[in-house]
Amino acid sequence: MKIPISWLKEYVDFEATPEELAQRLTFSGVEVEGIHRIGEGLDGLIVGEIVRFEKHPDADKLRLCVVHDGRMELQVVCGATNFSSGDKAAFAPIGAKLPNGMEISKRKVRGIESHGMLCAEDELGVSQDHGGILLVGRDVPAGTSLVDVLGLPEVVLELEITWNRSDCLSVIGMAREVAALYGTALRLPDVAFPESGAAVAELARVAIEAPERCLRYTARVLTGLKAGPSPAWMQRRLKLSGVRPISNIVDVTNYVMLECGQPLHAFDHALVAGRQIIVRRARAGEGMTTLDGVARTLSDEMLVIADGQKPVALAGVMGGAGSEIREATQDVLLESASFDAPGTHRTSVALGLASESSHRFERGVDPELADWASRRAAALIVQTAGGAAARGVVDVYPGKAAARRVTCRFARVRALLGIDVAVEEICRIFEALELHVESRNAEGCTVRVPSFRRDVEIEADLIEEIARMHGLEQVPEAPIRATMGAGVDDSRTWAMMRLRERLIGLGLREILNYSFMAEKQLDRLGGDDAARRLVLPNPVSSDYAIMRPTLLAQMVLTLGNNMSRQTADAGFFELGRVFWRDTATGALGEEDRLAIGMMGRVGRSQIEGRRAVTPEDTFLGLKGILEILCRAQTGQDLHMEPAEHGIMEPGWCVSILAGTTRLGTAGLLRRALREEWRISDPVGVAELAVEPLLQAAARKRSFETIPAYPAITHDVALIVPEAVTHEAIVATIRAAAPLELTDVTLFDIFRGNTVGDGRKSLAYSLVYRSGDRTLTDDEANRFDGAIRQALKQHLHAEIREG
Amino acid sequence: MNAAEIDSLTAQAVAEAGAAGTADAVEAVRIRYLGRKGLLPQIMAGLKDATGQERGAIGRSANAFKTQVTAAVDARLAALRGAIQQGPVFDYTRPGAWRGPGSMHPVSLVIAEAVRIFARMGFRVAEGPDIETPYNNFEALNTPDYHPSLDTTDTFWLGVGAAGLAAPPYQASQLLRTQTSPVQIRMMQSHPPPIRIITPGRCYRRDTTDATHSANFHQIEGLYVDRQVSLADLKGTLASFAREMMGSGVGVRFRPHFFPFTEPSVEVDFSCHVCAGKGCRVCKHSGWIEIAGAGMVDPRVFGKVGYDAEAWTGFAFGMGVERIAMIKYGIPDIRLLYENDARFLAQFE
Repeated sequence: MKIPISWLKEYVDFEATPEELAQRLTFSGVEVEGIHRIGEGLDGLIVGEIVRFEKHPDADKLRLCVVHDGRMELQVVCGATNFSSGDKAAFAPIGAKLPNGMEISKRKVRGIESHGMLCAEDELGVSQDHGGILLVGRDVPAGTSLVDVLGLPEVVLELEITWNRSDCLSVIGMAREVAALYGTALRLPDVAFPESGAAVAELARVAIEAPERCLRYTARVLTGLKAGPSPAWMQRRLKLSGVRPISNIVDVTNYVMLECGQPLHAFDHALVAGRQIIVRRARAGEGMTTLDGVARTLSDEMLVIADGQKPVALAGVMGGAGSEIREATQDVLLESASFDAPGTHRTSVALGLASESSHRFERGVDPELADWASRRAAALIVQTAGGAAARGVVDVYPGKAAARRVTCRFARVRALLGIDVAVEEICRIFEALELHVESRNAEGCTVRVPSFRRDVEIEADLIEEIARMHGLEQVPEAPIRATMGAGVDDSRTWAMMRLRERLIGLGLREILNYSFMAEKQLDRLGGDDAARRLVLPNPVSSDYAIMRPTLLAQMVLTLGNNMSRQTADAGFFELGRVFWRDTATGALGEEDRLAIGMMGRVGRSQIEGRRAVTPEDTFLGLKGILEILCRAQTGQDLHMEPAEHGIMEPGWCVSILAGTTRLGTAGLLRRALREEWRISDPVGVAELAVEPLLQAAARKRSFETIPAYPAITHDVALIVPEAVTHEAIVATIRAAAPLELTDVTLFDIFRGNTVGDGRKSLAYSLVYRSGDRTLTDDEANRFDGAIRQALKQHLHAEIREG
Repeated sequence: MNAAEIDSLTAQAVAEAGAAGTADAVEAVRIRYLGRKGLLPQIMAGLKDATGQERGAIGRSANAFKTQVTAAVDARLAALRGAIQQGPVFDYTRPGAWRGPGSMHPVSLVIAEAVRIFARMGFRVAEGPDIETPYNNFEALNTPDYHPSLDTTDTFWLGVGAAGLAAPPYQASQLLRTQTSPVQIRMMQSHPPPIRIITPGRCYRRDTTDATHSANFHQIEGLYVDRQVSLADLKGTLASFAREMMGSGVGVRFRPHFFPFTEPSVEVDFSCHVCAGKGCRVCKHSGWIEIAGAGMVDPRVFGKVGYDAEAWTGFAFGMGVERIAMIKYGIPDIRLLYENDARFLAQFE
């Protein structure tokens, strides 16, 4: 909200610079977001008379003007059309400087010299208006300093009014705050005006059919008005407040709204059928065209102002086009009413239509204000548009509420704020804010809450008033208390942190992606059940249309993006949430997952950097990470089973199990997908459930005796067909070995001529150890024999001797 | 071997040890004189056969042989180890072979640090789901259904059943939480006071993405309910956090504000950690940076969770993780946090 300080000063006295005032307001609850100085830097500018003009010979949209600057006639090119010969306008002669820093020099516009510039309001920094040049009265002599004419400069405060303080959405509301802060009195304007002729009740009838939505409706009728422009002082204040002047009657309604916060509406009384106002819910499907020219279809949740036949306004939101003030308007029905906040808000949201009026009503407008504002507006209309006001007012007031009383216990002030505020100070603050202290004793006081303070409902609200007026800088920093909180179990959070740190320790970089993703991105990856997707009803864009059901799509995207930024070697992980809709029940679900992605020479020594990365390298690199993770986080060995996944290369895709618990899927990204990103090296990806990986936190650890007797290490080398897996060999060895076999480690794989096509040679070291004695070589040899025999028998292995 | 012969052998061995050029050569001397098949066993054998006076002399010489030759061998080995090695020198400036530069995402870094700081102050950590009910996210937090934060322009409503979004009010619809405050509601519903928790987590608001806005972002909120908790406790807690998070010279100030769920409500500024409050580009020349929203829990919120507002008071606060990360690390654009460029992530190793 924008408030010119000069307007504020009409209602309250204070001695402070704009900066000091801004500081006081900001630290008492109304944040000043900006201090705008309007009309500064206009020193060299004058009033020029447009003596005559013609069309620019080479440009349809430009005019060639002859401007008299008080001394001589000058040729000036101008793009505006809002003037006629003899008008006086803001003129920047050569050498003058505009507030935006632009210096005026002689220059050619489409081939014709221009000796100065006729200026629009935005160029002068007095408003955002660029609709035409700024015209002043024809009676102002040419050559007069512009500053003298405009009465500038002005300082305008831009305020952020919090949602609860609708009473501050006006100049008077802010003046009341300033008066309380500076200890001065609030001055309200006189609202007396002459009444004559018929009584309003004879000219208009008002019925409220929806009293739950309309707390009060007042109507006055003004007759014999003459439409025209509003006075310059009013137009200036409207513009400084960001409202466009239209005509005297409409401008008065806007002016009074800005002044006191009560939205008003003026109907052309001749266009109100039956001279009758009915406040009712719209009928479902009923239509009306609002002032902005849009035809709207209404629902029965919306409140309308109807005449004898049809809706003429959308209550509290916008007037109807059919009854708006025209140039020919003579009689006006002036509405000053109070509509309920929730209803106004819902109507505004449902229609996507917000206005200065709806902005105020949906935050709450004091019903007590309606009559004062109506009088104020009637007085100003009579003043600016002539005519006469009919006698009295029609005032239907079903929502009148008794004054609220709230008690404040002084001990509670101390309890909530942590400071002692003297009782006298507390009462002074209340009185300054018009919270009249009706009674008080040693324990506390009871105040009567004025109708405009709709936000003050309970004791804590009163204590907030004390806090903001007394000063929050008074609140000290208390030392941290040693009491412990209730037993909220946070072990999972800490387990997550340890998991994250372990992944980082393994050499992976953590990434974070949005929870949203594009549907087409998922479609391209394929493999998911489209019915399970949680599609957002109101996404910010199609790129963020659904809640991600997997982390893998974005992991691939991240690897690809990095590839295109010349990072070819990367190892990433993400701990994030995935979402779905249960296809059977429609219930929404979410869970945490872990995704890992790696490409290129990640993990490998630089010195080996040039060696090509094979699919085996990437798969086994990923597997190594998964093995460590699995053992450390679950206490179980990693196990893999062949699997299929939409984005993974067949034959290079496995299910990951910790013991018998299924963790997820891992494998190499399909070649076609990585080639889309021009990634030449294999890409390893995995997605795992997080919950099983958090078991490490709960896992019991217990000591086992460290072996006291030495181990004997023997090697066995064997040649088997390619199809025989490492896992099968180990299983065979284990099955044939005695308890004394503690470790089986694969230390060499060899393929080549000496081994033969389709075969491979593997070498294992076998470690034997007894818990109660030193083993002899003979014993170890016996163990070897049994193992060799089993390998030959079950796997048809050829044992290599020596 | 008589004593004189032993003494001369001693001199000879000491000289040989001293002349040895390599560790291997020293080892050869040691084996020749002191080894199991070397001269020392012979000398000791001779001692057995000696008699009387001679035996005493030989014994002394033998002892001297053992100690002096051992000392000479050890001294030479030590000298050789200390000397610059001849031949090819190991180049320890080569790159290390272990390649695994992991890094924590700056958002996680800020959360981890904040959680540790608050944990030391006695806060437990609580987390909750991203998909919430309007009750937990708004109603229980004293936010009426006509508050603009409920609008479809602000909140991601998830629709009613499979049918999508009905007209407002959306009470039947779930939503993506707009704050982590619903976790406070969940915790207060399940735990009697006193309670002291912080709630980090991901939140969602329908902001159009720009340099400072992101439709999903992270928050850390705190809640402390106990006997006689006041605004001064809130200030002390946040001041302590400010010092640990941003630097020991950083202070806090409160400005009055409004939130539906706290009364009184304040906005919390930290003094600028870059210019120490003098005014610079980071703090837009004000000396202060807005960090958090906070206040005393509204008694109506206590009413919703069954806490006795007469017996207990409490404070709550909330702050944006991305914003703190940007301020703390000087990150100019929030989108950098979600682009996952390895060159960016590497800066947080």
